[in-house]
Formats: sequence, structure tokens, C-alpha cells
Amino acid sequence: MIELIHVTKRFGATTAVDDISLRVEPGELCVLVGTSGCGKSTTLRMINRLIEHSDGEIHIDGQQIRAFREEALRRRMGYAIQSTGLFPHWTVARNIGLVPRLLKWPTPRVRERVEELMALLGLPPAEFADKYPRQLSGGQAQRVGVARALAADPDILLMDEPFGALDPITRETLQEELRALQARLGKTIVFVTHDMDEALRLADRLVVMDQGRIRQQGHPLTLLREPADDFVASLLGGEDRGLKEAALLPVSERMLPLSPRLLPRERVAQTATLREALAIMLWRHAERLTVVDDEDIPIGELSLRRLVGARAND
Amino acid sequence: MTEAVLRILPRRGRRWLAPLAWAALLLGACLGMEALEGPLRWVEPDSREVIYARADFLTLLGRHLLVVGVAALAAVVIGVGAAVAVTRRAGRDFLPLVAQLASMGQTFPPVAVLALAVPVLGFGTLPIIVALLLYGLLPIVRNTLAGLEGIDPGVREAARGMGMTGGQLLRQVELPLAAPVILAGIRTSVTINIATAAIGATVGASNLGDPIISGIVNGNTAYVLQGALVIGLLALTVDSVFARLRPAGQG
Repeated sequence: MIELIHVTKRFGATTAVDDISLRVEPGELCVLVGTSGCGKSTTLRMINRLIEHSDGEIHIDGQQIRAFREEALRRRMGYAIQSTGLFPHWTVARNIGLVPRLLKWPTPRVRERVEELMALLGLPPAEFADKYPRQLSGGQAQRVGVARALAADPDILLMDEPFGALDPITRETLQEELRALQARLGKTIVFVTHDMDEALRLADRLVVMDQGRIRQQGHPLTLLREPADDFVASLLGGEDRGLKEAALLPVSERMLPLSPRLLPRERVAQTATLREALAIMLWRHAERLTVVDDEDIPIGELSLRRLVGARAND
Repeated sequence: MTEAVLRILPRRGRRWLAPLAWAALLLGACLGMEALEGPLRWVEPDSREVIYARADFLTLLGRHLLVVGVAALAAVVIGVGAAVAVTRRAGRDFLPLVAQLASMGQTFPPVAVLALAVPVLGFGTLPIIVALLLYGLLPIVRNTLAGLEGIDPGVREAARGMGMTGGQLLRQVELPLAAPVILAGIRTSVTINIATAAIGATVGASNLGDPIISGIVNGNTAYVLQGALVIGLLALTVDSVFARLRPAGQG
């Protein structure tokens, strides 16, 4: 658990982070989002003391972070950044094993752990272990960066725009993998981004920051439906919020049981998002879709009226 | 012939072929200077002696190497040390000062350093070592600074964020990454100083500058040529050794 209590950071006369309080529960993926210079990266870097906070308290699992030695604190947390920061003179395997070696794990255990992580992140050890960072694509390098952050199995993961420099397709793949990884490993993650779609896709808790303050925090759907002010509303996409919300809701949410009527020809998976369902409707000029399960068996149907949230049954 | 040599040498040894060849020429010049008597006699037909014989060339070479080596070692320790110190957080404030001092060291002519050092340190080897040290500092400081500053800030940030201590960061990341640039600075420094060391002969530091100074004083161009030849070969040998040095782990 991470807790920030009335935390302020001043650089000389300017206040980068202004009296913020934030609580990230264990296993929660908390996304800090905002425009550049809003203090989100500073906030992240205060948690592992790359930047020391000026006022307030930061607690990790109930203990003040200043109670730890800086290095000991950082070794307890994974840290992944946009530029990956992989050491160019070390192989992939050595890069991943950095923190375990700093923690003086025995060599066989480090090797075992590195291979485990490479497999977990889809980097076959036989192919990648001995490569150097310059031989990797952007997406591969970022996977190595995430593997390195996870290496010593920390409870907490800090990620500073880790996917910011990747092409949209790779970015989406890695976002999905992070979600899956999070579901499996249950880490407490603080993730910084300025990409609202990424924030909405990943967050359990979304924290909107502006000028060093938290404007609003909560579940992404709450923020979409009830933005605290115009700034949050416009940052969340203004009129596009409807589509963004639809992208967060699964078809199963609005689906109706099968009716005795003829099944519509166009199909949509129940795990698809409402936004995807809407796209199919637009593309196929269909007002009704058959909802199917994983095995392509019809289990319900979805009409345009239901999709847009009309209450009445049709 | 060349191919035969290449076949005998193990693969790893081949890159040392050029330094070995220069070293062989250097030794050959030191041991067999008499062989050049013909051409030298043609350059200097009026002199009685054309082969410098007041001291053995190998001895001079040894002394020359010692002076340059000691000066280089001191310059590396001081130069790299200073550059590392001023790139740490605590020493940041001194960065401009150190950069300035190092530049001044090179604008100050070694001859002037010698002139100033002799009254304090006396004649002999010490003044020339001091002069070479000051003169050789700049390339080392400058390159170490460039090497350290040239490291991707993300690498440093990640290293600290992962929990490396300052010492671990320096030894395991910064120095290895800056090594090629630092090495290039040392190479420049040493190569320049091999030539510069010759002026030490004017203040009584006996080295490969002896034949040159003696040749100038006695109007014997043959002596000058011999000194210059050996110094040139030494510089080429050392330079080609440096050209082949590659920090470990960087293929």
C-alpha cells in the first residue's frame, strides 16, 4: 500500500506538487494523468525518493519512506521509465538480473529468475538472453525494462510513461499484457501517463492532476460520468467521453437474453467492448447484434437502443 | 610471407600485428642505429661522428618511457578523478572551474612550465614530469567529462531508481560506458607527451630528447634525425597499442 499525506514538493520558489493526498491500495493500478508539467512524474519520483518531498508524509506499507535507506527502498520497488534506461553495455539477461544481484541473490537463483521473467514477458531466453539492448526493437526493449522492474518480485511497481515512445500497436499490446500481468501478480502499480486512452484502459484508480494538485480521483467510469469540473471533463475527452465510456464497458453489461425472434446476422463477442459493438453496427448498418460466447455460441443480443443505454426493453 | 605470419598467429593475436610491427621497428632502430650510418653520413658529411653514441638508445628509450609513463599515470589519476568528482552531485559547483583549469594547463607551453619548475624543483626528471602532467591533463579531463556527460540520462535515472549506490553506478555503469572516450583522451595525452618529453633534455632529464638537443647544440643534423626517428617510432607504437585497446565487454 502506498499513502501520500498532504505531500508538497517545492523547487526553489515554484511548487511542483501542492498538498496532494493519495492512497493506493494493494493490488491496485493507479494511473496519474495530466498535461506535461502537472507534477505527475514528480509525484512518482517522490515515492522512490529520486526526488525528496518537501512537506507531508509518504508511507509504504505503513512505514515512512524516510525510515528506509534510499537504496533499500528502491530495491523494494520496481521502476520502469519511458527511455527504458537499459544499460547498453550489459546483455538483456544481465540487465534483468540487476536488482536481484544488488540484493546479493545467489547466482543460480538470479539465473532462474531471469529466465522465468523472460518467459513471462514473451522474450524466449534462447533468443534474447545474450542480446544487447541496441539489438532490440522498442517494444522488446520496453519488455526487458518491465522484466527488470519485476525482477526482485517487488510488491510495488512505479512506471513513468513506460509505453510513451512506442508505436500504437505495440503500445496497445503491452498495455493488455500489463493488465494481464497485473491480474496475475497483483502488484501495486503507480503508472504515469499523459495519454488519456492509456489511462482509462489501465486504471483501477484514475488520478487527474493539474498544476501540482489532484483535480479528481476515482474509478475511471466515475470520472467519465461525473467529472468534478470542466478541466477534468475536457481532459477526459469532452464530447468523446461517451465513446471512452463505451470502450470501458463489456457487451455483457447491456446484453439482453435471447429473444424468440430471428437472430441477427452480425455477431459480437460478449467480452468485446460496447464501443467495438457500436463500431460493428456502424460498419454493418445493423441495429441489432447477436452476442456470442468464447465458443461462438449465441447467448444473447444487443440492440442499438440498449447499447446507448435506453432503459426501456425493446 | 604475410599470409604465413597470419596463419601462425592465433585469431585473437592478429589485431596486435600493427603494434608488434611498430615495436619491432622501434627496437630495430634502437639496437641497430649503425646500419643507418650511410644515409646519415650523406646528411651530415662534415661531422666526424654521425651515430649518437653518448648513451645507449635503449637506455634513453627506457628513461623516456618512464618519464612519460609516470606523468601519464599521474595525469590519469588526477584527470579522471577530478572529472568524476565534479560530475557527482556534491562537486557539481566545481565543474566550470576544473574545466577552465584543465584548458589553461594546455595553453601554458611546457617550456614555460619547465622554466618555472626548475628553480623550484631543481634540474632533472621531476620538472619534466610536472610539465608533462599539466600538459597532458586537459585531454584526459575533457574526454572524461565528455564521456560521463554523454551517458543517456535515462540510464543513470534507471540505475538510481533500481537502487544502485553512487559507487555501483560509477563503477558498473558510468566508467564502463565512458571508457572508450576516456581511453581516447589518454591516448591523445600520452602521444602528445611522448613528443613533448624530449624538451626535458634541456633541463638535464636524460631521455630520447638528448640526441636532438645535442644535435642542435653541436649543429649535427644526424643526431637530431636519430632522436626524432626513435621518438616518432615510439609514438606510433604506443598509439597503435591504444588504437587496439577496447574496454572489456564492448565488442
